[in-house]
Amino acid sequence: MRTEAESGVRARLHALRETRFGSFIPVLLALAAIWIYFGATEPAFLSPRNFYFLFMQSAVVGTLAVGVTVVLLIGDIDLSVAAASGVCAALMAVLIANFGIASPIACLAAIALGVGLSSAQGLLVAFVGIPSFVVTLAGLLGFQGLMLKILGIQGALNMRDPLVRGLTTFTLPPAAGWAAAAACTAAFGYIAFRRHRKRQALELELDPVYASVGKVAFFALLVFSSVGVLNAYRGVPLVVVILLGLTALLAWITTSTPFGRALFAVGGNSESARRVGISVKGVRVSAFAIVGLMAAIGGIVGASRYASVSFNAFAGGPLLLEAIGAAVIGGTSLFGGRGSVWNALLGALVIGSLGNGLDLSGASAADKLMVSGAILLIAVSIDAASRANVGRPAD
Amino acid sequence: MALVGDNGAGKSTLMKILAGADVSDAGAISLDGREVAVNSPLDASALGIRIVFQDLALCENLDVSANLFLGNEPVVSGWARMLPRPLRPLDEFEMERQALKAIDKLQVRTLSSVRSNVSVLSGGQRQAIAIARAVREDSTLVLLDEPTAALGVAQTRQVLDVVKRLRDTGQAVVYVSHNLGDVFEVSDRITVLRHGRNVAVLEREKTDPDEVVVWITGGQRDKSVAN
Repeated sequence: MRTEAESGVRARLHALRETRFGSFIPVLLALAAIWIYFGATEPAFLSPRNFYFLFMQSAVVGTLAVGVTVVLLIGDIDLSVAAASGVCAALMAVLIANFGIASPIACLAAIALGVGLSSAQGLLVAFVGIPSFVVTLAGLLGFQGLMLKILGIQGALNMRDPLVRGLTTFTLPPAAGWAAAAACTAAFGYIAFRRHRKRQALELELDPVYASVGKVAFFALLVFSSVGVLNAYRGVPLVVVILLGLTALLAWITTSTPFGRALFAVGGNSESARRVGISVKGVRVSAFAIVGLMAAIGGIVGASRYASVSFNAFAGGPLLLEAIGAAVIGGTSLFGGRGSVWNALLGALVIGSLGNGLDLSGASAADKLMVSGAILLIAVSIDAASRANVGRPAD
Repeated sequence: MALVGDNGAGKSTLMKILAGADVSDAGAISLDGREVAVNSPLDASALGIRIVFQDLALCENLDVSANLFLGNEPVVSGWARMLPRPLRPLDEFEMERQALKAIDKLQVRTLSSVRSNVSVLSGGQRQAIAIARAVREDSTLVLLDEPTAALGVAQTRQVLDVVKRLRDTGQAVVYVSHNLGDVFEVSDRITVLRHGRNVAVLEREKTDPDEVVVWITGGQRDKSVAN
């Protein structure tokens, strides 16, 4: 009797893990654990000011991690993402500082370059058949050199353009933040309600009402508490709004369009995808184009945040590993076919929180690296373990 | 119709030619009495010829309804027409409704939900999903390549039931198998291949497994009876 109840609970937990919403749970728990630990040991950690900087610090890693998630979904990897983002940032900085080109045009040029560089790698992966690991490793080296070349001998350029700087210095007025939170919650609730109604009308299998209501309530809690915390310091940063908007768009594309289905299908079983008529090569190149887009945007955000473009901030530093780590900590599988762009943002927050908390507690650079490595190892172990579970049939 | 023959008799090659994966050196393919050209998998699918591969070609990380419509998802109409087709919103409700209908038609009773991932299904259920995917409104011919080869007794039963139900709906099915028991259960006509040649077409009602074995092995029935 007892074991039956137990297995019922376990089955329900397992079913929950399989849903889109349930995949958030491990990374949310990790985030909560880190926040509780540092909240207890470092009083400054849970202050609104620190949260504000945490969000800002995580923005660049988050942008790249969202892009990396898309290539991980098809079972590929992009090791060049940080270097590509550095090249794009460098191009933008040089165009603005040395050629006096208007910043919006320079940004567009950077984005075009990012998409172009990454698509070229995608073409090599898809059509020449070189493993993405090797292509993007070459890309990593090549783009590092390219970045140095663009930056010239100084190796760094200051970014004073008010528009670019404004990306990360501008914050929404508190009232606008609250209004946005209310609008998002209302939209989320309405979509959930309409979905339920439509399923009812079509006599499809219904999700339990408490689950839908709980989802909306949880979403509202998350949004309003975040806005509250950020408003208590300076307000919601524009860059956070942009990043959330982009992520929402990519989340929708990856989960609710034929292209998104194709991404998952290619990652799950590319031979099956080919046989049902999906253009596997096209999907590969598109995924790389998306990671290039996100790399360029990450480069622009980074240039804005650091007020400069330097080799160490992008190509030479830990950005690449943090971005891939964030995607994997978020629960996106390195083996392809499983993951979510939202989780990449949460993964970026986990990495950002760790770095931030360890900084506050005065940990050495050596400790920080080792702790980050341990966290990444745990995340990948969970991935491998859950993959071993998945292959087991029901009877 | 069942296609039988010994190893190397040319069953799989014939299937590949019908599916457009291989092109024949000689001969013609007729569909509904009309001669057709099948030079690529695209030609085959345009003609409504669907093949269920031995390895099923399902994506385990996706759910049942996603697999049923993979590469051919219904999308919502209306404002979305502005977008390129791959970026239009999926009509998930329609997908699920049609998936339920397809599953009901084949009566895969043990399947609890079309929203469960294929990775949690049994071999028989997966086979049934793969068959359901092949059966569409416009399917003219469904090719099943050894659908029970890797299955246990109970699951083989399940798949045979699905094939029989499919036959009863009037769907043309080519069933390739080694197992004469299965063949006699599901087929109306049995075609025997030997060394790449069509050596016999037998009506199930008028034949028996012994005769089919004789055709497969190339022995002579009369002789074996006489001995």
